[in-house]
Formats: sequence, structure tokens, C-alpha cells
Amino acid sequence: MKTIFFTGKGGVGKSTLAAAAAWQLAEKGYRVLTVSLDPAHNLGDIFGIKLHHRKKKFTSELYLQETDLEKAADEYIKNNMSIMKEVYGYLKTFNMDKYFSILKYSPGIEEYAALTSLEKILTKEEGCFDYIVFDTPPTGLTLHIFALPGVTLAWIERLIKIRKEILEKRYTIHNIKGKYIPEGVQLAYQEKDDKVIQKLYELQKRYEKVKSVLEGDDNSVSVVFNPDQLSLKESERLLEGLKELGLPVSHFFNNKLTEDNLKTAESVEAKLKKDNKSSTIKRIYYNDDNLSKGYMLNDDIAGLFIEQEGK
Amino acid sequence: MTTLIVVVGIVVYITLYLTYGKKLEKEFVKADDNIKTPAVRFDDGVDYIPSKAPVLFGHHFASIAGAAPIIGPVLAMAWGWVPALLWVWFGNIFIGAVHDYLSLMASVRYDGKSIQFVASDLITKRTGRLFYWLVFFLLILVIAAFGAVVNGMFVGTPEIPTAYIMKIAAALILGVLIYRVKMNFTLATIIGIILLGLSIWGGSMLPIVASKGTWYIIIFFYIIIASAIPVNVLLQPRDYLNSWLLYLGLIVGAIAAVFSFQGFTAPAFTSFAPIVSGGKATPFWPAIVLIIACGSLSGFHSLVASGTTSKQLEKESDGLKIGYGSMLTEGFLSTLVVVSVAGFGLELMVGKGMDITTSNWGTNYTSSMMGSYPKAAMFTGSYAAMVASTWLKFIPTKIVQIIAGMWVASFAMTTLDTTNRLGRYTFAEILSPLKDKNEGVYNFFTNRWIASLVPAVIGIYLAWSGNFTILWPSFGTANQLIASIALLTGVSWITKRQKTKGTFALIPAYLLWITVTAAIIWFSAVVLPGTIMSNPVTGITVLVIEVIMLIMNIIFIIDFLKHKDDPLDA
Amino acid sequence: MSNKIVSKIKNFISGVEYVHRDQAVSHTLWEERELENIFTLLLMGSFSGIPAPPAFISAELIPLLTHELKIFNNRAENSFDTLAEMTGVLGID
Repeated sequence: MKTIFFTGKGGVGKSTLAAAAAWQLAEKGYRVLTVSLDPAHNLGDIFGIKLHHRKKKFTSELYLQETDLEKAADEYIKNNMSIMKEVYGYLKTFNMDKYFSILKYSPGIEEYAALTSLEKILTKEEGCFDYIVFDTPPTGLTLHIFALPGVTLAWIERLIKIRKEILEKRYTIHNIKGKYIPEGVQLAYQEKDDKVIQKLYELQKRYEKVKSVLEGDDNSVSVVFNPDQLSLKESERLLEGLKELGLPVSHFFNNKLTEDNLKTAESVEAKLKKDNKSSTIKRIYYNDDNLSKGYMLNDDIAGLFIEQEGK
Repeated sequence: MTTLIVVVGIVVYITLYLTYGKKLEKEFVKADDNIKTPAVRFDDGVDYIPSKAPVLFGHHFASIAGAAPIIGPVLAMAWGWVPALLWVWFGNIFIGAVHDYLSLMASVRYDGKSIQFVASDLITKRTGRLFYWLVFFLLILVIAAFGAVVNGMFVGTPEIPTAYIMKIAAALILGVLIYRVKMNFTLATIIGIILLGLSIWGGSMLPIVASKGTWYIIIFFYIIIASAIPVNVLLQPRDYLNSWLLYLGLIVGAIAAVFSFQGFTAPAFTSFAPIVSGGKATPFWPAIVLIIACGSLSGFHSLVASGTTSKQLEKESDGLKIGYGSMLTEGFLSTLVVVSVAGFGLELMVGKGMDITTSNWGTNYTSSMMGSYPKAAMFTGSYAAMVASTWLKFIPTKIVQIIAGMWVASFAMTTLDTTNRLGRYTFAEILSPLKDKNEGVYNFFTNRWIASLVPAVIGIYLAWSGNFTILWPSFGTANQLIASIALLTGVSWITKRQKTKGTFALIPAYLLWITVTAAIIWFSAVVLPGTIMSNPVTGITVLVIEVIMLIMNIIFIIDFLKHKDDPLDA
Repeated sequence: MSNKIVSKIKNFISGVEYVHRDQAVSHTLWEERELENIFTLLLMGSFSGIPAPPAFISAELIPLLTHELKIFNNRAENSFDTLAEMTGVLGID
């Protein structure tokens, strides 16, 4: 299974290109799932159907899904609140449990929600599709989502290390004081009995999965940009972020080219190319022909991703 | 005579425990088992943990027993054995043990908060801050005094350093066995005790002779290294071995004292002011409090009692056994010391060719002991002679002497590095107001290594350059100052809470404060000028500490009197 | 009668053993407790303004940490009152 992420500034044509790539891959007989993580959903508009939180069959090869981040965040909060309410169940007696809804405003909830959705999709759809094409939210959020598995794992590793030390000390204490410790206060001293470390291992496994997909050979990240300075600046930021995360960019799409902006396009391309010699740049011209057909059938986009298979 | 005094001592301790101690408990503290102790209320299985009285007694006693109750009485023998014994008995029963017990109980009634917290809550915030300063000075002076004790023993009895070094190796091995390999504890303990025995035997075989300076350098590096490594590598296994040594020493000593039937050769009373500190005539009052600290009264105990013990007390009625009782036990240890030196000290010194008789004891005792024959050896020698005079004589005297020496040296060495650990922390606390003013300086001094070096460098410098008869009383000043503050705090809190006059506990508390203040003034005005003449750096360093402490003491008493009649908040 | 004495002696020996075993782990106990406190503190970091792990890790773990939270609570209560405690833990006389 291959994954393709289309990234870039809002409005540069990510969704259109993602849709085109997905459509073309499906046409060639691959099983494709297209997922939009962008809150400004237009995947449904492109294909002319109404999409929901669940995946929807478009053709026998092509499935579409719009992940509603806000809804995912709500779900995430609901899930967490149920944990909190379980712990502090007594608050129900005074109807004070409603104060937990403050969690809704905690920073970064959207990112966790997106990551959780991403993780769910990757686990659930593994093996069902040849390609999963992602249309991503605006740059900042996308970078956060990409960074999150790494950050989370670093924390989990730290916590596991401390927990192991705790268990080691508890084992020493048990070993020496064993029979003098009253039943009730005996703490878990082995990894298999310690629910906390077990939970940490479980979380670690989950996020390693996401991380390995993101960093794996079967993943490719494409950057879409337009030939203008604003788009260039944002792309540069995006590239810098991706570089820090160790995610190489496989393709650039220089979208919405016209005769008039060709010069700007060339200089923008040259700048982006300088630091990313191994990636390819695909130019996509903006013309009436494209517009009338709705998606870019005459530009072979899918080919770029299939070619890689041969390598 | 030895036997008689030990038996009388036991009778005195038990009688007064049952009368005065019980009176304190009933009429003053009003211990009530219906009041749940913090250990029960906050039981978390780790910090607050209700413990059975004998267990807690064991812990508390192990924490408060060290080398100090041995050294102090040896020095106090200059006044003769009667004054020494009187202070060990009555100072202990009416002041020291009361101090420990009240610190414990005030803390228990204060949710397990420390006497420092009680003081800052009851008097003013700055009284709480004073503790950091006083404890920091105390720690430096402890390093100085105990550094000198250890050094004297290492130079004077070259078998002891060998035994001690081998014991450190044994502790390291035991640490690996218990905490790394996690070997069966009983088996590891047996191996540890065998290794401890081997180190004592090894010491008798391979004495290491080195100069005073060499040992000071080694002790200095030992302090720095030992206070930097993880506790379960050295500190914990070593303390564990030490507790065996303590029990062995106490039991053998008690048996020997009971069965030796030796007459006392030391004079019962020399003069009111024999030569003790810094070659000056030293009056019994107020100076005795500076000489016999632990054994009669120690400010550290208020911290131990209110810091950890109070969080583990299961019932209020156990408090007397633990707070009062373990201090009396420590007094009993000091009694053994007095008895052994009174019975065998003279013989020992004459044997070494010293000019000492019962008639010139008052003037020559201290100087004889300070000369080629180090103070702690006075105890180890007498102790060994006392053991040899009983049916325990099948143990070779040399071995007994090393055991006694190891006992003192181990506790003194342990004190050196644990003190330095605590010194690091108090130093950072003292400097904390600096944080906002000059962060660079603050960060420099609170760096782990720098903060570790400061008390060690000052302490060892003082020990190396100073006269022990100066250092020991100066350690006493800091220790007793904390004790008097803690005692006044404890007493006043309980009187407020019980709304009783509690005169019989308040009067000793005021008397103690007056005595300690007088002792500091006497020490600074009479003894220190001589030291400043002969050894300016050391003398001035000690004087500066004394003066700062005296100022703090005055601040304290002003604050105390001002807030004495404030009503309790709760 | 002799049974009573035997059981008394047994009790005494087990008491001595208990104290010894306790003594041998006193510092380990302290370290273990502090580690648990640090562990909880890290999870609660966002409350105290120190760098904290992503909130959902804490949310996942907190229901499992009843014991640790108790300690956390006690430590927070006593964190300004540690001089005496350190003296006791180190057993300085």
C-alpha cells in the first residue's frame, strides 16, 4: 500500500491535483482511497457528490472520504471526557461534570484528532487499497500532524524509561521487604503487571505505526505551489518543516501556469529546486481545456507515482 | 563502679521515663489515641506510613545515633566524671529528650509538617528562613569537627583507615548484590557481614601509615565523590553495614560495662573551669552544652523527628517511646562512654607516657588527649580495655579496638558525605534570594559541583588548620542554637494549643536559650580571640559564623517574644 | 509457658529483621517515590507550565495513576518543607 500526501498553501490546487491523481490511478486499475483532511472540504465538490465522515464508493476502484476534523476533535474530547468522568464520577452528583467540556478548548486538540483519524485509517484500510491519497489541511496544521508521531514517541520513550526505573526500584523493594509489605499496598513491580507501562507500550506501538508509514519508502509527499511570491514563501516554510521532520519531497507541482507568469514560475522553480535536487517538478498549465473538463485528465499525474514502483 | 554506674543509669532513665516522661505526655502534650496521626490520615504507603512502635524506634534511633554522642562525653571528662554524667543524664532527660519528643509531637499535630514549618507559621516567615542558614553553618562545622575526628583516628590508629577502605569495598559489593543483582537479602547480608569482619581483620594486618595532610586530601575527595554518586551504590549499603556495627558495638559495650566491675580511676570532679576549649579555662556553665551535644541535646534531632519520624507515627501514645525513649537510649550510649573513660582512661594515658594524674587531670586531660593520642582513640582504647576486663576477653584487644574505631570512623565518615549532600541543598536555598538579583552568580554557585565544594572546602580547611578543641564547641554552638529554637517553638506551640501554662517545660526551654546564648558569647569573646591571634583565617571564619548566628539568635528571640501570645489560627 | 517465650523471641527476631530490611531500602523507597512524583509531574506538566507531553498521553494514563496521584498530592503539599525531611532521610544526627 502506498500513501501520497498533497501539501501546500490553501487555494493552490491541492485538492484538484489529489483528485486527479486518484482518478487517474483508479482508471489504471488500482484500488484507491482519497481522503480529505482539509477542513475546507472540496473533494466532494470536485467529484460532484456529497461526502461524509465515512468513506464512500465512487467507482469500483475509487473510494472517497472527507474526514471532518472538527467532528473528530469532538469525538476525541467525548472519549477523553468519558475517561475523566469515570475517574471523577462523583462530580455527577452535583452536575459538575459539565466543566470537563473545557477540554474542547485545549490547544492542539485538532492535531490529535487528525492524527488519531490518520492512525485509524492507516490501520483499518491496510491491505484494502493500493493507494491512499491524502488531501491535507493548511501548511501549519499539516506540519504539526506530521511532527506529532515523532514528538509523541519521544515522550512515550521518556516516560517508559522513567517507568522502568520505577519498576526496577519497586522490584528491589519487593525483593528485600517482600513478605513485610501488607497485601493492600503491594505495588506492581513487574512490567507485565503494571498497567501504566502496558498502556505506554500500546501507545508506542500505535504511533510507531503512523511514524513508520510516514517515513517509509511507500509514502510520498508532494508540494503544490503556484508561480507567485506568496506561494513560494509558504512552500519554503513547508519545505523547511518537512526537512526537519526528515520527510523528503518527491514531487513539486507548479500549478496554474500561464504564458504570463512563466518567468516568475521559472525563478520560483529554480529556488525550490536548489535544495531539493532529487525531486521532480511537474508543470501544470492553466487553460480552458482543463477547466472545461473539471479535472486534469490530459496531464498524466498518476504516472509519477506509478513510475516509482519500478525503481 | 563501672557496673554500678551503668545500673544506676538504667534505673535513672527508666524511672524518669515513667515519671517525668509520662507527666509530659499526659499533662502537657495530652497524647490522645483518638486523634488520628498524619501517618494514618495521609497513608500513601511511601511517605506517610503508619509503623509499629518498635520499628519506628529502630529507624529513629538509627537516624539520631552517630559518632557525636561518643566524642562529646570523652571531651567533657575534663570536668571529671560526675559533671559529665550529670549533664548526660539530666540534660538529656529534662531538655534533650523533651526537645526530641516535643518536636515530634508538634509536627504530628501539624499534619507532619517540620519544626521549621511550625516555626515559620507560628513566629514569622523569617524564623523559617533562619533554619536554612543555621543548618548550613551547622553542616560546615560538622564537616570540620568530624573531619578532624576521622583524621585523628586515621593518623593515630593506622589499622582503621585500612579497615575503613576495605569496608567501603564491602559496601560497594553489597550494593551490587542487593540493588543490582537483587540477590536474596539474607544471603547478601551474611556476605556483607563476613566482608565487614574481613575488613576488620584486614585492618589489623595491613595498617596504612600516612600523614595528616594526606588523609585530609583523601577525606576531601571522598566527601566530594561519595556525595555525588547514586545513593544505592555506596550510601545505602554502607549505612546498612553501619547499623550492624552500631548494634554490635552497643551490645558488646553494654555487656562489658555491666561485667567489668572496675573502679573509676578518673577524678569525680576536677574544677568548675578546667582547660577544655582552645587552652582556656572553660566554665561548666554555659560551656557544657557546647561540649556534649548529641547524647544530651542535639538540634538535628528536631529535624529528624519532625521530618520523617512524625510522618510514620501510628498512634500518639507511641510518641513517648520513640521521641523520648530513643533519646534516652542515646544518652545511655554516652553513659557507656563516660564509664569506659572513667574506668580505663587514666591507665591508658599513663601507659602512653603522658603526664597525667588525678590531681592535674583538670589542666592536663585535654592537652594529653589532643597530643599524640587522638581524642577518639581515648574512647576506643578505654572501650577495648573495658571489654578485655570481662569474660569477653577472648576477643583480641586489637580487634576490639578496631571495631570501636570503625564504629566511630564509620559514623563520622557517613556524616561527612550525607552532610555535604544536605549542604548542597541548604546552600542553594540560602542563595535563592539572589536568583532575581544576579542569576549568573546564583547559577554558578548552585551548580551541583560548586554547591558541593563550598561546604567541603570550608569544612576541611577548618579541620586541617584549626584546633579540635575550637571546632568541636563551635559545632556545638550551631547545633544547640537550633535545638533551643526548636524547643521554644515546640513548647510554645503546645502551650498555645493546650491553653496550659506548661511552666515546667517552658522554664527549661528559656534556660536553654539563655545558656546557649551565653555559651556563644563566651566562646566568641573568650576562646576565639586566642585562635585569631595564632591562626587568623580559621579564627576569623569561625568568628564570622558565630557572630552571624548570634545576630540571628537575637532576631529570633525578638520575633518569638513578639508573637508569643498570638492566638493560633486554627 | 515455653511456647509463649518462643513466640515472643520469634516476634522479636522478625521485628529486628523487619527494621533491618526496611533500613536497607529506606533510600530506595525515597527515590522510588520521587520518581513516581516526577512521572506524574511530567504528565501534569501543562498545569505547572513545564514542557508537557501531548495532552492525550496524560489523558490515557491518568485513570491508571491513582497511587501516583496520591503521592503527587502529598509531595505538592510538602514541597516547601523538605529540609527536615532530607535530614531525616539522610539520617544526620
